[in-house]
Amino acid sequence: MWKSILYKEWLKIRWFAIIYAALGVLVVGNIFLKVQHDFEFSQAANYWYSILFQGNRFYEYSLFKFLPLVGALVIAMAQYFPETVNKRIKLTFHLPLNENKALLVMMFFGAFCLLAIAAVIMLLFTLLSLAYFPAEIIQSALISVVPWFLCGFVVYFLTALIVLEPVWKYRFLYLLVAATFVPIYLQTAAAGAYSPALPLLIVFGVLLSVALLFSGYRFRKGEM
Amino acid sequence: MVKFSRYILIFVAIIGLSILLPQFYRVAFEKSTRAPFIQYSCIDHDFMIFRSDADVKWTNSKGTKLTREVYEKKLPLMYTRQLVMNETMPDSINGQKINVQHTSTFRSTFRIKPDELHAPKPMLYPLFESQSGRANLEMPGNFFRITWRMEFIDAKTNNILEEKSRMFSAVLYKRGFKFPAKSINGIPTTRKSCDEGYLVIDSADQLFHIKMTKGVPFVRKVDLPEGMKFKTIQCVDFSDKLYYAYLFTENNELYVLTPYDYMLEKFDVDDINPDEYEIRIYGDYFNFNVITISNDFVRTQALNRDHNKVDEYMETRPTFEQQPEGKIAQFLFPAQLKMKDDNSSYVNFFLKISKSYSWLFTSLLLIVVQYFIIRQRKKKFRTEIIDLLIIGITGIFGFIAVNIFPNKFID
Amino acid sequence: MNAIECKNLTHYYDKKLVYENLNFSVKEGSILGLLGKNGTGKTTTINILNGFLQPQNGECLIYGENTQKLSPQNKARIGFLIEGHVQYAFMNIHQIEKFYSKFYPKWDNEPYWELLSKLQVSPKQKISTMSCGQRSQVALGLILAQDPDLLILDDFSMGLDPGYRRLFIDYLREYAKEKNKTIFTTSHIIQDMERLIDDLLIMDFNRVLAQRDVKSFMQEFKQFYLELENPTIDISNEDFVVNSEKVSNKLELYTYESEDTILNFLKNNGIAHKNFRQVEMGLEDAFIGLTGKY
Repeated sequence: MWKSILYKEWLKIRWFAIIYAALGVLVVGNIFLKVQHDFEFSQAANYWYSILFQGNRFYEYSLFKFLPLVGALVIAMAQYFPETVNKRIKLTFHLPLNENKALLVMMFFGAFCLLAIAAVIMLLFTLLSLAYFPAEIIQSALISVVPWFLCGFVVYFLTALIVLEPVWKYRFLYLLVAATFVPIYLQTAAAGAYSPALPLLIVFGVLLSVALLFSGYRFRKGEM
Repeated sequence: MVKFSRYILIFVAIIGLSILLPQFYRVAFEKSTRAPFIQYSCIDHDFMIFRSDADVKWTNSKGTKLTREVYEKKLPLMYTRQLVMNETMPDSINGQKINVQHTSTFRSTFRIKPDELHAPKPMLYPLFESQSGRANLEMPGNFFRITWRMEFIDAKTNNILEEKSRMFSAVLYKRGFKFPAKSINGIPTTRKSCDEGYLVIDSADQLFHIKMTKGVPFVRKVDLPEGMKFKTIQCVDFSDKLYYAYLFTENNELYVLTPYDYMLEKFDVDDINPDEYEIRIYGDYFNFNVITISNDFVRTQALNRDHNKVDEYMETRPTFEQQPEGKIAQFLFPAQLKMKDDNSSYVNFFLKISKSYSWLFTSLLLIVVQYFIIRQRKKKFRTEIIDLLIIGITGIFGFIAVNIFPNKFID
Repeated sequence: MNAIECKNLTHYYDKKLVYENLNFSVKEGSILGLLGKNGTGKTTTINILNGFLQPQNGECLIYGENTQKLSPQNKARIGFLIEGHVQYAFMNIHQIEKFYSKFYPKWDNEPYWELLSKLQVSPKQKISTMSCGQRSQVALGLILAQDPDLLILDDFSMGLDPGYRRLFIDYLREYAKEKNKTIFTTSHIIQDMERLIDDLLIMDFNRVLAQRDVKSFMQEFKQFYLELENPTIDISNEDFVVNSEKVSNKLELYTYESEDTILNFLKNNGIAHKNFRQVEMGLEDAFIGLTGKY
């Protein structure tokens, strides 16, 4: 039964998930193409120096920063928007399952896909970094990159909440809340500067995972 | 579970709002206040004050209005070039003949802000050759870390240089260095007059001077008074070459470290807290001006060249909280959450709770408003108690949050 | 034993009353049609039945369980056709069959493939690219394959060709009666219902107009035609008149009373008339007669 739900979710998001993953790999590839080029043209030591002391962040460009956000947004839309067309979510709620559990399984599957893609991208990023950089540089780079991926999860959970919400007025209000909250994951800061905030950022991400239950409940109670 | 999800959403909204609303408010209403620039005059033996944002820009400590020209003449070692240009530079001050070239050697400027202290550290540093026989310093091709030993990593290959690492580690070990290093302080740039390596604190809070001369390690342990610990050590490269570094201790004292004899000399100043204050140290032929600037005061302690205090001057300035706009803010918002703080380069959750309790009044008012909203919705009062409690504690943030995520249907 | 039992249903949208204290039940094995003009609460009722709306007051029970909190086992016994034959349009006919089959223990794909074999669709065609009629077949086929005990069909005839509609209704009735299924249905096309339903529930704004079995309703509810000598006479407010339509002196009268009662009334009150006759009605005529044209 639950496998069947996963099957349905996969049918909805598969192409978007694959494109997101592929784009992630391309972006990381592009970063290290550039690193390799810079190593060739300015000396390696100077390049390290610029990272350590001049605030050069070799991975910092907007495509990489916002990729998890956009990827999560697209996957969440692909997954939840078809459920709201003609209120199709009724079909899911009518399945012989507990409604909240059904929503949670949908959410877990989407979050798992995001996690898998994030893992692939981060792993590739780390492995390629190991060829060029010492642990100190890689560590602070990862600390800077992790909030962007956490942001992806938060955006995914909030998008689920907003898309499933039956009343347009509240969708707009939720969007405002998202607009106040999501930027805390996207502050511009020195490499590694996010380290003290990470534990709470992770906690918030985990807590928000159940957000969609709220709009699901409102739908089932007949808000419109 | 649904109830739980609602409270999570309210919580998240409160966090978002407590960052954004006070920030909007500040952007809209905050007025800039610049700290006055307070310098000790070697002519008048009084403090000269420059306020860039006031109508009366130049005064002395008694408030006497000065012209710019007079002001600059009171600080001849600060505005030497201007006075020379105006041909008003005195030949002698305090009975001492002034040679402009000579006195300018003693001029030094230093400044540090808390956010430079509270910042991610690079952990890897280049060790320059301090006696290369070249006029200019050259960037080495490797960087070192001091963990369980001192390790040099070649940037080109990203591999550890075993031989060099062993050589330096052995010397450090012999000199009694306890690995790993707690802090590594130096001036890691080629754009300095010469290299003096690094001042390193080991895990036993001992201070070492480490440099490389002709490819060979130079390691010297610096004797410290019992129990002395440092908030930060700031290496300096001044033209008088009198000091290696300013050292700021845990109990807010200021020391300098002299070269060759490695003497720690105390500055006769107090409350030098780099964790919270911006600190500026201006040295000249006669005096040191040690300036501490915080949100609510500016203080200049004037020292002579023997590091003894000759005078001090302090001025308080109103913080945002003390200004009318700030008071209204404290009335509106129970707290302010920031992801970034003036005193830190880290991203974190910086919670500043309102010092006055005037926000409780707003909370009370909003509880009453919410009470009427509940009545209008014909909800049972009992089921809304937590919402009211949330509003009571978080004021306007909670009020907005519980109404964005209404308690309809959930009992 | 009742499959559906709704008690004291009251619902408002904001301040607009939909109905107050509505009671009805559906016996197991019977077919009930919910009729009513637009906006009288048909969809509201369907939504309450499916647990997508919490009424302000009262409750609906399906097999003894509140529809707000149906257990999975109970939901497996209910087949639900959403208005407009909404289904997962991003699936093709194989995928959707595979998807649903895992949920229902009694799943039998034979009626599904039987229905779909008549359609001109390619096996990999997504439902979203199908015509309205084809989509309705998929949705209906899935419900039949589910083999539920109770079928809730919200406007099942929408988008069906007239011939096919007829076929489907006959098939459905046969299927329901043979397997003792309970059906709760609404439809825009009331003519169809006549062949299908045992009981009807006719709703008007804020109230229920009729709630009974179709046969007795069609026997008792009558339309009379007469032409008045004096066109100014108005009898529309008389107790026995359920509804009346008057165009100049021609009067259509809807009533539950017998022909004799009407004639007696006219005679006793000295209302001169001619061409008095009873008009044969279908269910649609009766519905219009009961609810009015407007």
